[in-house]
Amino acid sequence: MSVIGERVPRSDGRAKASGDAEYGVDHAEPGMIWGALVRSPVSSGRITRLDTAPALAMPGVHAVVTAADAPDTRAGWVLRDQRLFAADRVLYEGQPVAAVAADTLELAREAAAAVVLEIEPLPAVVDLDAALRPDAPLVHPDWESYVPALGPDADYPRHGNLAAESVSDPPGVDDAFARAHRVVTDEFVVQRQYQAYIEPKSAVGTYRDGRYTVHTAHQFPYNVRDRVSQFLDVRPSAVRIVGHTIGGGFGAKLDAALEPYAALLSKAARGRAVKLVNTRTEDLLTCPSREGAITRVRSALDEDGTIIARELEVIADNGAYSGEMPWLASIALHCARGVYQAGPTRVTARLVYTNTAPTGAFRGVNGTYLYHAVERHMDHIAAELGVDRREYRLRHLFDDGEELLNGQVLTDAGILREGFDAIEAAAPWAKLEAERRPYRGVGIAAAWWLTNPMPGTAVVKLHEDGTAAVITAATDNGSGAVSMGVTQIVAERLGIPPSDVFVTLPDTDVAGFDAGSQGSRTTRIVGKASQIAADEVITKLKDVAAGLLEAAADDLEVADGTVRVKGAPGTSVPIAVVAATATNTVGPIQGTGSFVTPFPDFNPGCATGLMLPSFPTPTYHVHLAEVEVDPVTGTVQVLRYLVAQEVGAVISPDGTYGQVMGGVTQGIGYALHESLRIGEDGRYRERTLESYRLPLAGDVPRVEFFPLEHPDPDGPHGAKGVGEGPILLPAAVIANAVGDAIGRPLNNIPITPEEVLAALQTAELRNVEEHMR
Amino acid sequence: MDVTLTVNGRREQVEVGPAETLLGMLRERLRLTGTKEGCNEGECGACTVLVDGLPVDSCIYSAAATSGRSVETVEGLADDDLGRDLQAAFVAAGGVQCGFCTPGFLTTLVAVLRENPEPSEPELREALAGNICRCTGYSQILDAVAATISGRNRR
Repeated sequence: MSVIGERVPRSDGRAKASGDAEYGVDHAEPGMIWGALVRSPVSSGRITRLDTAPALAMPGVHAVVTAADAPDTRAGWVLRDQRLFAADRVLYEGQPVAAVAADTLELAREAAAAVVLEIEPLPAVVDLDAALRPDAPLVHPDWESYVPALGPDADYPRHGNLAAESVSDPPGVDDAFARAHRVVTDEFVVQRQYQAYIEPKSAVGTYRDGRYTVHTAHQFPYNVRDRVSQFLDVRPSAVRIVGHTIGGGFGAKLDAALEPYAALLSKAARGRAVKLVNTRTEDLLTCPSREGAITRVRSALDEDGTIIARELEVIADNGAYSGEMPWLASIALHCARGVYQAGPTRVTARLVYTNTAPTGAFRGVNGTYLYHAVERHMDHIAAELGVDRREYRLRHLFDDGEELLNGQVLTDAGILREGFDAIEAAAPWAKLEAERRPYRGVGIAAAWWLTNPMPGTAVVKLHEDGTAAVITAATDNGSGAVSMGVTQIVAERLGIPPSDVFVTLPDTDVAGFDAGSQGSRTTRIVGKASQIAADEVITKLKDVAAGLLEAAADDLEVADGTVRVKGAPGTSVPIAVVAATATNTVGPIQGTGSFVTPFPDFNPGCATGLMLPSFPTPTYHVHLAEVEVDPVTGTVQVLRYLVAQEVGAVISPDGTYGQVMGGVTQGIGYALHESLRIGEDGRYRERTLESYRLPLAGDVPRVEFFPLEHPDPDGPHGAKGVGEGPILLPAAVIANAVGDAIGRPLNNIPITPEEVLAALQTAELRNVEEHMR
Repeated sequence: MDVTLTVNGRREQVEVGPAETLLGMLRERLRLTGTKEGCNEGECGACTVLVDGLPVDSCIYSAAATSGRSVETVEGLADDDLGRDLQAAFVAAGGVQCGFCTPGFLTTLVAVLRENPEPSEPELREALAGNICRCTGYSQILDAVAATISGRNRR
């Protein structure tokens, strides 16, 4: 019986529900001591005094390290612009200035507080537009000396506070605007969003025999290996990263955080294991949150209201250091005209250094606010024209074969229409419109997205008892991509139950490179690599069984825990017997597989700064939300939420629905609850989970989900990425629904009760004025 | 100071500091690391345990105040009929993703269902207002509770 598409309990479920699972924060080692960081209390300033002597004098303190104790080098995922410790200037609140190791956590924190740190404040660059003005102070006066992580040849457009730029300027845009019958213009502003995984970041580092080992719950162990090696100036293989169960990440645990400090402190403490754990406030203040952004978009319309050209400019907040962000800047090109016809489209994406915590990857990178902008804009145009919003979208919707701004051809974009149809069948638009009540509204929106193509590898090892182990550096951030997806795919191939497949936790000394749990890639990429590895196991099983069964290997099949003669299932031998025989004759059975998705063809001349040139393995998404606004409190309740999503093929129904329900919930938080404001001083206003308000059980409806299956010929059992798509559109559809409910546009995210009340009051005033006229 | 209490049905005598939290005592002194620290300010509910049957945020509950009381943690749920059913239903229904919040949800729900064996969905959503799950969106957790209730009614 096939286990693909079946409800299979996740392999780590029992351990997680019993309290047995060992998360990063649970890891301990014999003789372990504790670390704490001294962090800058201001967002911009010059260090005038740093005295570690009072901390070093405390009994029980093993080491205090500063920039003077770390290699004089800069590190970074894309651009090497970051030092381990601030040396002379501090560039954001929370930036590490020193680190302490002591016998206990309490003592380490006391010693950190005893370090004398004096900072002369400097003006903070915070406002995105102001940061780009010629007279703006430079966050990095030495920006020109920074080297891309892949070397000088991998450089990209950047200048001063402009951390990265991608511009596409196809012919015909200005002509179309000149002859336009009407031009519609919008500006949208979105705040940051904190990933707010429930397990704070932690790391346990040891330095022994010239090598660093760091235990951490990390989404991308090989990336943290590389970052530790850059910061500590050793070759990558001198660093070993050992993974643990991850208490949520959502992109924030893709780059190094506490790991290099734990490693360096251990070396300073003569090899004692040192553990660092963020407090929740440290975690919030320094997390690479989703970037805030300003998006300006205008469209030229002909006399029929058809969009004949578009211009989209986005300015995104990089924070004080670059992280992954420059690599993502060109995503604007793929979303500005991603699912609707819009004629020639000029796209300018700018990434800006500010004196704030570095931003980074959060599920659905860049897409959440780009689609919010495009879809709010579509509603605005439809309102200007006085036409139905859904109909207007369908009029411009892509069909099969559409060529994008980058030259990539979407052969299957017609799936979008299937998505609109699936939503229509469950929530007919005309019926929703007919049943309208005061303070209720609906919104609809569409998107396309990629499945991250980056490489992965796996070894499938057959034990002599007939069970299999999968050795991989892939990580399960909670999605079930490993504990269900990869597990099911290997079980299916080997004809054994999923409970007989054990996938290891990552260890960079053991498993080959894997690009981590990002971009919905794991089920597809690591699933495929594991399938290839399992096929090698099958070939070896058949070769050995051929001797045992006195049959030709080509006449054999592996199924139901046996190797058997095709068409004669009675003539069989258990896999365990074949595995044990192999071990003692030809040698133990194992197989290796690797996989990477090639980038689709694109036109390299279409834009400057084209770091992420095209979207491999596209998927399509249509969402609808119905909301109710409370005119007294300004709160918005989401009454109904529908998702039609192209998924390739469903491997695990629970895993797929879990990603949809969970991603939409994070999107509802982004749209309505999760306010993360930055003051003029560059410091966050919200600093705890009390003020940073996450969605609770009472805030979300049960999502109605309509999977659209179009199996991908290259994916394992047709699988494509699932995890990111669900968060792309909630801000768009909820903003449109709230606008529909109160008859006023709301163009900022999040839509807090204060903003709703302010909009309602403006609307009331306008009504009164009209009445008096 | 020494406190004597019952943890998961076992009598324990533990030396605790005056400012020590119940969470710190459980994780560091008794090595019961199933109870998680998510925020250390009573907001996220990951550290929920039962004290004399009532759910508390152990990160803001004084260890000394447990003297003479009975504490139940996620590690003890396997010995409890209702706890065991909930654990199995969470896994079967997809109520576990990263799992870091799961111990807090399970202990909260044991207390809720002991008090009210058949809560409505709105009652459940309200009862879970002190527990944050960042992964699931809660629906599959509610499914797990529904499956637990119907499974127990069939027995």
